[in-house]
Amino acid sequence: MKQVYKRDLERLWQTISEHFELYLPLEQDGKVNFMPWKQGENVNIDRLKTDLSPKNIIFPPTETYLKFRTVNKRLCFESVGGKNDKYVVFGMRPCDAASYSILDKVFLQEPIDRFYEERRTNGIIISLACSEPEETCFCSSFGIAADNPVLGTDIAAWDIGESILWQPKSEKGKKLTGILDNILQDTSEHEIIALERLQQSIREKLAQLPWVDLDLEIISNNMKEMFESKVWEELSKSCLGCGVCTFVCPTCHCFDIQDFGAERNGERFRCWDSCMYSDFTRMAHGNPRKTQTERFRQRFMHKLVYFLNNNGVYACVGCGRCVEKCPVNMNIVKVIKKLGGD
Amino acid sequence: MSLKLEEKAISSKQQFEPLIVAFCCNWCSYAGADLAGTSRLNYPANIKIIKVPCSCRVSPNFVLRAFQRGADGVIIAGCHPGDCHYSTGNYFTRRRFTLFANLLEYVGIEREKFKIEWISAAEGNKFATVMNEMLDSINKLGPSRKLRDGRWIRQQ
Amino acid sequence: MDKTTVRMQQIALQTLANGEVDVILGWKKGDEWYDSYPVVINDINETAELIWDAFCVNNLSKYLITELKKNLRIGVFLKGCDSLAFNQLVIDNRIDSERVVIFGLPCPGMIDPQKVKHAGLNKGLLKVERTGDKIVFITKEGVKEYIGRSFDYDKCLNCRCPNPVVSKYMLSDAVTRTDEEQYFPDVTEIEKMPLEARYDYWTKQFSKCIKCYACRNICPLCSCETCVFDNIAAGVSSKADADCEQQFFHIIRAYHVAGRCVDCGECSRVCPVGIPLEKLNRKIIKDINQLYGDYTADTDIAKSPPLGTYKVDDFDPFDGSKQGGKK
Repeated sequence: MKQVYKRDLERLWQTISEHFELYLPLEQDGKVNFMPWKQGENVNIDRLKTDLSPKNIIFPPTETYLKFRTVNKRLCFESVGGKNDKYVVFGMRPCDAASYSILDKVFLQEPIDRFYEERRTNGIIISLACSEPEETCFCSSFGIAADNPVLGTDIAAWDIGESILWQPKSEKGKKLTGILDNILQDTSEHEIIALERLQQSIREKLAQLPWVDLDLEIISNNMKEMFESKVWEELSKSCLGCGVCTFVCPTCHCFDIQDFGAERNGERFRCWDSCMYSDFTRMAHGNPRKTQTERFRQRFMHKLVYFLNNNGVYACVGCGRCVEKCPVNMNIVKVIKKLGGD
Repeated sequence: MSLKLEEKAISSKQQFEPLIVAFCCNWCSYAGADLAGTSRLNYPANIKIIKVPCSCRVSPNFVLRAFQRGADGVIIAGCHPGDCHYSTGNYFTRRRFTLFANLLEYVGIEREKFKIEWISAAEGNKFATVMNEMLDSINKLGPSRKLRDGRWIRQQ
Repeated sequence: MDKTTVRMQQIALQTLANGEVDVILGWKKGDEWYDSYPVVINDINETAELIWDAFCVNNLSKYLITELKKNLRIGVFLKGCDSLAFNQLVIDNRIDSERVVIFGLPCPGMIDPQKVKHAGLNKGLLKVERTGDKIVFITKEGVKEYIGRSFDYDKCLNCRCPNPVVSKYMLSDAVTRTDEEQYFPDVTEIEKMPLEARYDYWTKQFSKCIKCYACRNICPLCSCETCVFDNIAAGVSSKADADCEQQFFHIIRAYHVAGRCVDCGECSRVCPVGIPLEKLNRKIIKDINQLYGDYTADTDIAKSPPLGTYKVDDFDPFDGSKQGGKK
């Protein structure tokens, strides 16, 4: 266990950025999001969660695969995409880090998504425990420990006031720790006690939250019944069919592949897509899910039932972004409660 | 501006061959272009004419799409207000594009890049003058990639 | 319980029971203090769950478009800004006003949960009550009172229409607002910027866009059956994260509601990345007001929308002869 004093943070970031690209939660116009850090940027590590999830680091909103162009009547191709620069993300929350491990199940399964794999292996994730979980958090319902970052984490960190505790969890994390040897300090008994106290207080705060114990089993064990439930119709009535929930969600990973064509050049790219959209998975005959009710059902059945059946985990980490961002206050918690017979 | 920069600017201007898209109404301005042609008036080859049934057929989408895909300037030419073949079409054009031109300027697009002109079938002269002036002003602005699609590559 | 809520539940029960309406569009309360969400009910037993509080921000008039296809007569609760949107939908011929019964709700302003959160008042918060300018925060520990409008949505701070302009039943007394009329300072500020700075400003704002289309879908007046951005045949790379596509979308979105926008500010409210979309809409409104006479969309449904009409002697910025240019 190491620690870094808060007065040294700027120096820490400086040193990291000499070796790696560094992503930090930066505040711009009142919104906080993970962005590449430069000296003088307004870093905000106190905001519990960023407005958008950090999935864009490993899964960019738009990524070009292929460029093509005709030169002297010959078609030339160029393969592009992926990322070879090594990078570090500091201050990701345990739920977001866990979402990386969920996305891994999608993109690192055979056939492996090469671009995703490159981004994933080149990144070192420093995950900061949540000292002040909020009312909209329900990570504990999905088995994620806000007091102890593990999943998708290379280095676990805790903010104990004066300093940030630092514990490498993976080989990559150990290597980075080695590089930062002159900034990181050793810890003493005093800090270990502070850590235990902090973890205890996080657990107590979590226990106070309204949605710590959502009952998911009743949903995941009754696929057919849930699929045919009358509840979808009622819940989806207010759904506007926008894509906020899917795009701020750290685990939503659907994408579309599209072509851009100019006269004699073009590109093939993938971009985020949302199951809420009317042109999602559109085929020759149209969208297989014709109504918003079906689309709405798909999103939640995917997260709570299908993904679990296929990959053994729920495709939700309980970050609560959809709860905050939905324009009409419809969200996964309401769905879980309603389906669970509440 | 230092000499070097100025030189660079001049040389890039020399290479700069603007592309101007002109949406011309079938009944007046397109006929005006015809007249300019048959009267052997010069107007630049940079102008690419797209014939539309009426100036009010032009949707703002067309204008933006033209800028995206290589246009350095866009001009909509229609009958003089009051002379519309469909009686009232260009009155609507006038309102719509007055607002749209203001909106484009508001988001930082130069006035010179987007114009509306009223050119009748008898005004071959005006057609040539307007197009020449448009080219001049775009040349003065110099190359710019505002609103351009970053993926779009100009064909030589 | 709040007096207006009681009245709301009564009138819903009454109109459903006597068959004046088939369904009611209203709000219900979720578990949390900020969670008032839109519902469609047809069961008289559910009327007791209807609620009116400082979080009923959603405009229910857009739901009328789909619900009127399924139901004959609908009762709907509308605030001031919602009623403007309702009128505009009637002008646009999107809904049949004859089949709608409006319950008017004078609105003191809606509270922004994010502002409450950023003030640190959300911890253990159970309920927020508002009467006029007094806001009461009821927490597990106790009660805190605030006077003023510091928690209002930005869009509510410059409200020009707190009282419904159309209604059959008014559920409470009209709200009197003493706001200074500060309608277009934000637009003027941008207009004053140099051209390049303006372009950079908007490009930066647009580049934040994640293409979630919440601004379009929440807009009561964005009501096309198939939007051009959902139409693959239109050749718009609607999902691509490219600067030009963001510019395209936002300019067209703003322009497409030109002359119909009621300035309810919902687009900016729902934007997850904080693009000041209302500044585009307001620019258009400002220009329309200046050029085509005072347009306040829209209290008068008999009036034609500004872009659906013209005058022979409209201002003509394109007539070179009038500006002294070359003939």
